Amino acid sequence: MSDDACRPTLARRARLRWDAARAQHVVVVPEGVLALSAEGAEVAALLDGRRSVAAVIDALAEAHPEAPREVIGDDVRDFVGRLVARGYVTLEAP
Amino acid sequence: MSDPPVALLAELTYRCPLRCAYCSNPTDWRDYGDELDTAVWSRVLREAAELGALHVHFSGGEPLLRDDLESLVRAARDAGLYTNLITSAWRVTRERLAALADAGLDHVQVSVQDSDAAHADALAGTAVHAHKLEAAREVKALGMALSVNAVLHQRNLARVGEIIALAESVGAERLELANTQWHGSALAHRDALMPDRETLARAQAVALAARARLRGTMDVIWVIPDWYEDAPRPCMDGWGRRFVTVIPTGVVLPCPGAHGLPGMVFDSVRDRPLGDIWREGADFQRYRGTGWMSPTCAGCERRDVDFGGCRCQAFALTGDAARTDPSCPKSPDHRLVRDLRRERPATATEPGGPLYRIDIRRGPRAS
Repeated sequence: MSDDACRPTLARRARLRWDAARAQHVVVVPEGVLALSAEGAEVAALLDGRRSVAAVIDALAEAHPEAPREVIGDDVRDFVGRLVARGYVTLEAP
Repeated sequence: MSDPPVALLAELTYRCPLRCAYCSNPTDWRDYGDELDTAVWSRVLREAAELGALHVHFSGGEPLLRDDLESLVRAARDAGLYTNLITSAWRVTRERLAALADAGLDHVQVSVQDSDAAHADALAGTAVHAHKLEAAREVKALGMALSVNAVLHQRNLARVGEIIALAESVGAERLELANTQWHGSALAHRDALMPDRETLARAQAVALAARARLRGTMDVIWVIPDWYEDAPRPCMDGWGRRFVTVIPTGVVLPCPGAHGLPGMVFDSVRDRPLGDIWREGADFQRYRGTGWMSPTCAGCERRDVDFGGCRCQAFALTGDAARTDPSCPKSPDHRLVRDLRRERPATATEPGGPLYRIDIRRGPRAS
C-alpha cells in the first residue's frame, strides 16, 4: 500500500453507518454491504480526507496505548489498501 | 424466525415508455394502475429501514414517471437508506437529475439495450440510446455512483464487448450484464430471445476477461444465464431471506415475479405494516427456509447455496412451484430445460423484425 503521507477518504458512494438490526458497523455501497469489525469501524471513521495514513495510525495508537504501534500500522495499511482496491476509498497525494 | 431484509425493491410504477421484449414485469401491467401515493410509500420506506433494510432500489417500470420521485428519495435518505434509482433515463433532464442528487440520491443504474443506437432503439421501440449516454455522464458529473446494466439475449450477445466499452466510456463504476430471465414478456418471446450455446460461451469469455482487466476500475457482473449452467441460480438469494419487493399497488412479495404463482396469499402495505408481512405473511412463509423442499432439494448439499433455485421457473415449466427448479441437473424435470436450450448456432446472425413487450389488459384488480 501507498505512502503513509497520502490522505484517504471514504468515497461518496460508500457510506459508513451503524446497522442496528444486525448490531454492527457497515459500509454501504452500490448493491453491497461491507460488515466491519469494531476495529474496522474505528479506522473507517478516521478516513475523512484531512488525516494522512500516518495521522490515522497516530490517532489509533493514542486511543489504544496497549497495542503495539507497528501492529496498528500494518492493520490500517491493510484495511485502507483493501478499500482502495475496491474503489471505496480514494487516496489523495500529500 | 426470519433475518431482516437487506434491501427493499420499490417498484413505483409498471408504466414505461420503452417496449423491451425481454421485460420481466407482468404482461398485464396496465392493470396495476392503482399506485400507492407519496404518503404510503414514505411510510413503507421508514418501515423498511426499521426492519433492517440498508438499500432501497427504486424501480419499475420507469420510476421517473412518478413526479414524486424526489420526495421519495428524500424520505428514503431521511430513514437512513442507501438510495438507488434503476432507470431507462427516458427524457430525464439535467435539472431533474440535479434535483434527485440534491434529494440525496446515491446511485443511478442506467439500462442500455445494446451497444449502438440503431440496435438499442429498435429493441426499446423508441429513440432513447443517445440520451441515455448523456444522462449517464451527467449522473457522474453530479457525483452520484453510476452503474450501467444490459439485459442480454440472442440479439445483442455478440456485441457484449462493445457494451462493456460503452460502460467504460461513460465512466460507470459497475456494469451488470444480466442474461434474460424467462418471466413476463421475456417468457412469451423466449424463442426469439433464447441464446445459442456458442454465442453465449463467446460472450461469457469476453465478459470474464473484461472483469479481470477492469478490476478496481469497474465491477463487471455477469449474471449467469438460466438453463445453461450446471446448477440453478440462487434466485433472490432465497425466498424471503434478503429481499423484499413492494409492487406499484402495494402488494408485498418475496420476489418481483411471485404474483404469477397460484395460491399465494398476498398482503398489501395498505392493510398491514411491512415488518408484519415480512415476518408473518403467508406468502413469505411458503418457500422460506428448507421445510417446503422436495426430497431432491432437502437432501442436497447445495440446499443452502441455491435454495432450490427459482420458484417461478419451477412453476412455469412444471406447473408446481414447490418442485426443484428444472434448471438443476438433479431435478427429475431437467429434460424440460435441456430440450429448450439451443445447442446449435442460430442460422441467421441478425434474426427477425421488431419484437416488443407483450401488453395485455385483463381488467381491474382488487389489490
